[in-house]
Amino acid sequence: MTVEIQFDTSWADGFFQKIKDDGPWGNWDLYKLAIEVEKHTVIDDFEGLQAPKHLPQLTPLPHQLEVAKRVVEDMNGKAILADEVGLGKTIEAGLILKEYMIRGLVKKALILVPASLVTQWANELTSKFYIPAVAQKKSYVWEQCDVVVSSIDTAKRNPHRDIIFQQDYDLIIIDEAHKLKNNKTKNYEFVQSLKKKFCLLLTATPIQNRISEIFNLVSLLKPGHLGNESAFYEKYKKDSRSLDDNEHLKQLVNKVMIRNRRADTGIEWTGRHVETVPIEFSKEEQQLYDAISELRSEDNWMATSAFSIMTLQREACSSREAVFVTLKNMLAKQETPSPAYEQQIQTLAEKVQAVQKNSKAEKALELIRNIDDKVIIFTEYRATQMYLQWFLKQNGITSVPFRGGFKRGKKDWMRELFQKHAQVLIATEAGGEGINLQFCHHIINFDLPWNPMRLEQRIGRVHRLGQEKDVHIYNFATKGTVEEHVLKLLHEKISLFEKVVGELDDILSKLEFGNFEDYLIDIFGHSTSEGEMKIKMDNLASMIQFAEEMKGSETNAAAGNSTIS
Amino acid sequence: MQQQEIQRFLKNYFQANGCEIIEEENGYMTVQLTIELDKELMNRPFYWHYLEKTGGVPNPMKLTFITNQEAAPEHIKGEVIHFGSPRLHQIFQSTKNLAAYIRLYENHRFTSGQQVPLKPWLGLNVRISYQCDRKRDVFKSLGLQLINGQIVENFHDRLLNLQLTPKIPDYSFTLSPLIMPKSGVSRIKNQLVREIEQEDDSWAVEARKRWHKDLQLLEHFYEEIGDDEKGETYGNEKKALQDQYEPNVKISIVNGGLFYLTDRAV
Repeated sequence: MTVEIQFDTSWADGFFQKIKDDGPWGNWDLYKLAIEVEKHTVIDDFEGLQAPKHLPQLTPLPHQLEVAKRVVEDMNGKAILADEVGLGKTIEAGLILKEYMIRGLVKKALILVPASLVTQWANELTSKFYIPAVAQKKSYVWEQCDVVVSSIDTAKRNPHRDIIFQQDYDLIIIDEAHKLKNNKTKNYEFVQSLKKKFCLLLTATPIQNRISEIFNLVSLLKPGHLGNESAFYEKYKKDSRSLDDNEHLKQLVNKVMIRNRRADTGIEWTGRHVETVPIEFSKEEQQLYDAISELRSEDNWMATSAFSIMTLQREACSSREAVFVTLKNMLAKQETPSPAYEQQIQTLAEKVQAVQKNSKAEKALELIRNIDDKVIIFTEYRATQMYLQWFLKQNGITSVPFRGGFKRGKKDWMRELFQKHAQVLIATEAGGEGINLQFCHHIINFDLPWNPMRLEQRIGRVHRLGQEKDVHIYNFATKGTVEEHVLKLLHEKISLFEKVVGELDDILSKLEFGNFEDYLIDIFGHSTSEGEMKIKMDNLASMIQFAEEMKGSETNAAAGNSTIS
Repeated sequence: MQQQEIQRFLKNYFQANGCEIIEEENGYMTVQLTIELDKELMNRPFYWHYLEKTGGVPNPMKLTFITNQEAAPEHIKGEVIHFGSPRLHQIFQSTKNLAAYIRLYENHRFTSGQQVPLKPWLGLNVRISYQCDRKRDVFKSLGLQLINGQIVENFHDRLLNLQLTPKIPDYSFTLSPLIMPKSGVSRIKNQLVREIEQEDDSWAVEARKRWHKDLQLLEHFYEEIGDDEKGETYGNEKKALQDQYEPNVKISIVNGGLFYLTDRAV
């Protein structure tokens, strides 16, 4: 076989000119230095990374090195990094960025991450990788700095947007990229329009075997690789899950996606202790809950939705404040509420008024005092969050709030306040994502989200690489309520809390059913008797167990750690 | 290159270019650029053009480099340099540019009254890059004696053991080359090409296999689309695969020049 051999003649041309002109000639010290440079910059093997040699203070884990190597060697710098939560995707991305910078292939890089992680990314790149990354604060940094970290929401808005479009980025890194799986969104359109040579999409949620997600994410990395959209969908059916059967698609996904599971990495994790804390309603709380539950039999409410009733039930398990806010909204939403409707809301509002104490909050206070260490309380409701802050303050416990809607600076500030000055952080659901709190190892789930993935994300904030102590999780469940049922399902039937973070999304993605939450709504909203509810819950649990067994047998059979299944 | 090595390298580079190191501490250093180096590194042609036109006093810049942010005091402002940073790449490039061509004589220190003959050598330092979707480089240093055509390997390392000087030393005279520099360069080139052709080419065979497989996968997604409708993106993707996989070898010369050496030197 013949391989083309090119000989660069530019040096020789210059050389003959120097001879003709009798100089000027270079300096011997510099000449020697140039050879030294050369020896430092040659890549002496087809395989292997350069970056680790230049980062003596960093010891990446074997799976992180493996990912960086595969992305550089086999994937040509276009990849979806989909390791399970907490396996260090930041380190992997940092290694890849560094590698390309060393090889001189990347000069300008743009890193788009959730607002709450901007500062953390910039700090990690600077301190661990010696990459002078700048957290975007002023609009001129786009042009002046080579490596910029920003939130996508800032970047996509003008004036930033226009300036960014004028830059030629060599590498773009996008954290939490699962948010880009819908190609109709502004964020998707923005990322698609960026000029990029190399691109890394980071996500803890794997492609969930849905054809449209695959099409959209792969199209970001390799535009045009899948042919045109309509022909593609015609062939593979938009929402079908036939990926498993299609060898070509499977091959393709393996070419662009790497996913390490915790079990593959052999990393030792600190223990996880889960405790269910049963809560007894006070008389008034019980009355409020019962009043809400009784609405079910009333016709007009049933017509509205089983969902509102369930929401109220769940809120009643959290705080009277949460119920009250929802009631107010329900009334405000009706343009001309019927007198009967108004009457019902009024009755409920009175029941809310009658509640004098929050049994869960009192239990939480007792627990926090016993723990005598940092605690994170997660709640689904802002009203509960505000109430708890007030309540803890009344009892001499310092706390800081945390919400997804906070601006980046405020998030950083709150995290720092919590680390240095406060005992408790009270976070709502939205705040659960994108902040690392390894310094804390006690979590109270004040109320439970119905989406197990969100629960997993909560735990993932704390139980991740870098956590040095055992993690304690306290699940509050009020006796005789929907909450107790859900917890039973999650805890006893599918042993969610014993699973390591990330395991669950694998299992769920294997199931042919869609939204877990929809199942719960069906179970609790449409069951006509306790018995029916129990049967439906058992069904759900056995489906999950089945998926789990499927997964188990697959892992044994699989040779590599990157095959999607 | 680790951070201390980078600092040492920077110091060597600036000193070799006649710049004064104003301050040097653990983790950072400040250097006063010469006019030449300011022009080389700072990319401000308008300033220098203006100055030359108006005859003003040149004011080359001072630069502070931070090689270790943790060791450097907080008040020190400067450019953070890491292996991989664009500035370091620029300086690497500049090192090669400034010392691409050289002519040196062996400073043999023979003091006998006799004149010592110095034989001409062409020395070339080359980088051979084997490229497909992966890359491997080999550094080679070859010397060709321009009288008898002898070629030696590791020429640069041999030079490092000698005393070399840019001016012809006393009691010496140079022999004229029989092989002209131009044909000297092509002799070395031919020698390299011959060697490469005899090397194991399984890396290229494997790359072509991978290329072919990827191409098939691409074709699969387009098989039901007519040739006219495949459009630009299809062509782009195909071209991108070619750029990514097609094996080739590039020989480039890092630097080199003429060396006049005694018989016992090589």
